[in-house]
Amino acid sequence: MAIVKQRQASPISQDERRHIRDLTGLIEQLSDPNPIARRWAARDMANYPDSVSALAGQLDRETNGTVREAILTTLMLIGNTDAVSALVRCLRSEDAALRNDAIEVMKNMPDAVSMIIRDLLRDPDPDVRIFAVNILESLRHPDVQKWLIEVISNDKDINVCSTAVDLLAEVGTEDALSALEALKGRFSEEPYIAFSVDVALKRIKDNG
Amino acid sequence: MSKKRVLVIDDSATVRMYHRSVLEAAGYEVSEAINGIEALEKALAVQEPFDLYIVDINMPKMDGYSFLRQLRQQPIPQVPAIVVSTESKTHDKAQAYEAGANFYLVKPIRPDDLVAYVCLLIGQGGHQ
Repeated sequence: MAIVKQRQASPISQDERRHIRDLTGLIEQLSDPNPIARRWAARDMANYPDSVSALAGQLDRETNGTVREAILTTLMLIGNTDAVSALVRCLRSEDAALRNDAIEVMKNMPDAVSMIIRDLLRDPDPDVRIFAVNILESLRHPDVQKWLIEVISNDKDINVCSTAVDLLAEVGTEDALSALEALKGRFSEEPYIAFSVDVALKRIKDNG
Repeated sequence: MSKKRVLVIDDSATVRMYHRSVLEAAGYEVSEAINGIEALEKALAVQEPFDLYIVDINMPKMDGYSFLRQLRQQPIPQVPAIVVSTESKTHDKAQAYEAGANFYLVKPIRPDDLVAYVCLLIGQGGHQ
């Protein structure tokens, strides 16, 4: 049986967009009890870069998946420093679904993310560093391999390194070979690192 | 009797390969899914149910907690699940157990440990 993402069954009422569409009105509707009104408000706030703090605040409270999706998309469309900061904050959430949604959104923001990725890759929390590597997965940016090589050369956390190795297996070139070999030596007691590095080396050599 | 069947759910192809190689060497039959949605589809579609799920947490489309919560509501035989994650914080473990996990293991997991936990939950692999 196919699992279909839950959607609102009821049609979108014109009433939901009847209210004033200026920023003050939209902020008010963002906390409307009706999720359809909240979703429309979130969507229409894409025209207002100053709406980021209201969107971020609602994100903390929002329980409806489609509204949350609309908020994240609007943050992506706004794409300014505040919007990126709001998305980074999601990476620290205890809610795995929110973290993953934020990662997916940030993959589509190469310019904005490239400005902060080095900070994320050096974050004190290894989970955040892993999520940063996850963001690199589909980030269309010419420095992705360089950042991954820096991770496997310097990061002390085995899971951060292994996540980077997994990605290098897909996007790496011969420039990554020596860093991969060195990583294997650095974690010589860890069977998973040996396994994943061997997979990456083989794939890179096969593709080269 | 056929081999015990394990479904490995992880968005990393390398992790899936690693778990497959370890578990197949120990005599288990291994299937793979790349996220919670695909795993649920496989769990509901198979005629012979899996004996065990090995689940990652952070996956696109459907994370491991959501997968376990939805799985535990399905009218199918409920079998054990091991969550294997990079995250080691207390709230991660609590969420996993709340969602229906039997064990929470932190990556990277050594081959002997993985086989030991699987064996503890579903018995040895191989033909019976």
